[in-house]
Amino acid sequence: MEVTDFSIFAIVVLVLAIVIVVLGVKAVNQGMEYTVERFGRYTRTLRPGLHLIVPIVDRIGARVNMMERVLDVPSQEIITKDNATLTVDGVLFFQVLDAAKASYEVNNLEQAILNLSVTNIRTVMGSMDMDDLLSQRDHINTRLLSVIDEATNPWGVKVTRVEIKDITPPRDLVDAMARQMKAEREKRASILEAEGERQAQILKAEGEKQGAILEAEGRREAAYRDAEAREREAEAEARATAMVSEAIAKGNVQAINYFVAQKYVAALQSIASAPNQKVILMPLEASSVIGAIAGITEIAREAFGKDDGASAARPWDKRE
Amino acid sequence: MIETLSEISFWHWMILAVALVIVEALLPGVIFMWMGIAAAVTGLILLAFPDMGWEIPLQIFAGLSVASVVAGRLWLHQRPTETDDPTLNRRGQQYVGRVFTLGEPIVDGFGKVKVDDTFWKIQGDDCAAGTRVVVTDIDNGLFRVVKAPAAAEAQKH
Repeated sequence: MEVTDFSIFAIVVLVLAIVIVVLGVKAVNQGMEYTVERFGRYTRTLRPGLHLIVPIVDRIGARVNMMERVLDVPSQEIITKDNATLTVDGVLFFQVLDAAKASYEVNNLEQAILNLSVTNIRTVMGSMDMDDLLSQRDHINTRLLSVIDEATNPWGVKVTRVEIKDITPPRDLVDAMARQMKAEREKRASILEAEGERQAQILKAEGEKQGAILEAEGRREAAYRDAEAREREAEAEARATAMVSEAIAKGNVQAINYFVAQKYVAALQSIASAPNQKVILMPLEASSVIGAIAGITEIAREAFGKDDGASAARPWDKRE
Repeated sequence: MIETLSEISFWHWMILAVALVIVEALLPGVIFMWMGIAAAVTGLILLAFPDMGWEIPLQIFAGLSVASVVAGRLWLHQRPTETDDPTLNRRGQQYVGRVFTLGEPIVDGFGKVKVDDTFWKIQGDDCAAGTRVVVTDIDNGLFRVVKAPAAAEAQKH
């Protein structure tokens, strides 16, 4: 068998067939879409599945990932409105809606979205105070989302979420904030302590006041009672004296002498029998004593003398 | 080598056919399948007409490869592949038919609606906030909305 031109032609035709098959058959995976260019111009988009394109004339332009993707926004240093420097990083979720636009309207889609988000983060955060920033992440996320989404619309991209991940203030600011918090707490603690003490003092003073009042009242009562007692005493004595004087007035004055003499003699006795060796010179009017004794003899005589006589005339004698 | 080629017979073609199908099964890409079919058919033709030399079967094989691709495409068009989720990876399409209550009014034909946890732009007739609208179409991230019918009717979705 000789190698004719026909043979070579046959071989070359085979090669062509293979090339046609290879170039013409395209299987698009789920989650991707391929754009078809005819002589460099976009004609259509191939959805997932098997497709046949005209081999020589058509070619696949771009293979676009249609799944929702995540972009990490790298750490940025931003300066807030009140001149604090913070380190911020974030995360961004987006999905391509239109493969053709995403391939041809923008060059290097991910880079573009990243840069867009970075600049917008600076804009949004640079217009807020640091305290607001730290406490209003929700608000920041919403603002960023609306701006970035609008901007990426012409590229056929939908940005679904933008989230700020970390906001790191510089170390000394963090310490200052911690100190502020601590001071706040300590202030409250000492206020409460002082309040407690004040209450305690008030109650103590009240207690003492009540005690003093009660004491004074007690004393007043006691004084009243004492006064009354003395009154009664004086009254009693007065009555006793009155009785005695009545008795004296009714009876013999000599009876008084009896009592005085009795007391006199008792006093002398106690002086004489005193253990200490003092010698007390008392002016002693012996005549009075004798007079007293005389008085007693008088009484005795009267008393004993009337035994056989008119004793009924002085009934009080018998009583002694 | 030419001598070997002249010895290619029916069985060789069948071997080639099966080998191509095996390759197709193992490697990514859908190109060998067609050539496998073509090789099988060529083998059969060779069985029918044994004395053809080797160039002609080769060309038949070549032609049949391309033809089988075209035939396969037509056949697939007639019976499109069923899928559980036809709107998979078509983000906007998944919202067609949904009813929303507007948070902000539509002004100058454009507005915004909060969908789950994100916002989408909408286009429709001007109406006030609180109106219920249904999404009819999506155009590059823009929902086209019309006023929704009363709630009872919306149940037929």
